[in-house]
Amino acid sequence: MKNLFLTLFMAAITISAFCQDKQSTTSGHIKFFSSTPAEDIEANNYKIISNINQVTGVIVFSVPMQSFEFEKALMQKHYNSKKFLDTKTFPKSKFKGTITNLAAINFANDGVYEADVKGALTIHGVTKEISEKFTITIKEGKVTGTTEFDIVLSDYGVIFKGGKPSTNISKTIKITANLNYGKVST
Amino acid sequence: MKKAKIFKITALLAAIAIGYMAYLWFMPHRNVQSTKAFVTIEATALVNEFLLDTDKANSLYLDSEGESKVLIVNGTISNVDKDQLGQQVILLKNPSDKMGVSCTFTIETNDQIEKLKIGDSVKIKGVIRSGAEYDEDLDLAENAILEKCAIVE
Repeated sequence: MKNLFLTLFMAAITISAFCQDKQSTTSGHIKFFSSTPAEDIEANNYKIISNINQVTGVIVFSVPMQSFEFEKALMQKHYNSKKFLDTKTFPKSKFKGTITNLAAINFANDGVYEADVKGALTIHGVTKEISEKFTITIKEGKVTGTTEFDIVLSDYGVIFKGGKPSTNISKTIKITANLNYGKVST
Repeated sequence: MKKAKIFKITALLAAIAIGYMAYLWFMPHRNVQSTKAFVTIEATALVNEFLLDTDKANSLYLDSEGESKVLIVNGTISNVDKDQLGQQVILLKNPSDKMGVSCTFTIETNDQIEKLKIGDSVKIKGVIRSGAEYDEDLDLAENAILEKCAIVE
């Protein structure tokens, strides 16, 4: 009986410890930028959900695709349409990856750390393995993650032929993300 | 005489073409608040529709050009926050539910929520951007998302 209680007690401690290992945000910011001689296109999204687990090094993202706001209404329609990202069929893009150099990051100490993240990015229903740098900043116990990388649209089955959008949209777009995670629990 | 006529027609066609291009270029964004709401629904009911049958709910509420349904959602405020742009975000969620509806206001409608507090019942109008989902693989509970919100009196 005593052993049972001890086991339950240990389990409870493990579970509560696990909960504190994870920082999350539901208001991350992602921007994409496409540049061609015809025009520059920028879109912003402030509804990114993301978790970072400082013990396992697992980072996950969920991006609601219709939350990208463009300056021009017509561009926003093109972007959402079946010809482009088909956001009705694929309303979310997701990422699940792991920090491969977790030992180099000290979540208990303020500082700026370069994390190498490797994982699977799913956009438009197509999943690709990617490896990117993820900058983790710890300031007064608060965790922020930033990253910047390029994606090639055709890798994710976004291929457009002829017509105006194809000449105005670059085939490679730059993604910038800023994740305002919560405080590290102590 | 004939030449003048051809010139006139060409000039007219050019003006129409330029007008149409300008219309496309300056096409305004849809005004969500002046759009008629598709339905008035409880936050819990909306979340459950997506959890029960994601495909059915996506095809009912989402639009293929991003002009998804404008909804009025009733619910209890469980959290108030600000996003990185400074827009107020209210989470409508019943204490017994795992997921709710995250409603992002705009810079123009931000001050509508000044007097509101956690536990208040409110009606919020906005455009749905994505449904609620529990992603097992990512271990993420994702709220439904409403944007360009305002309080409905």
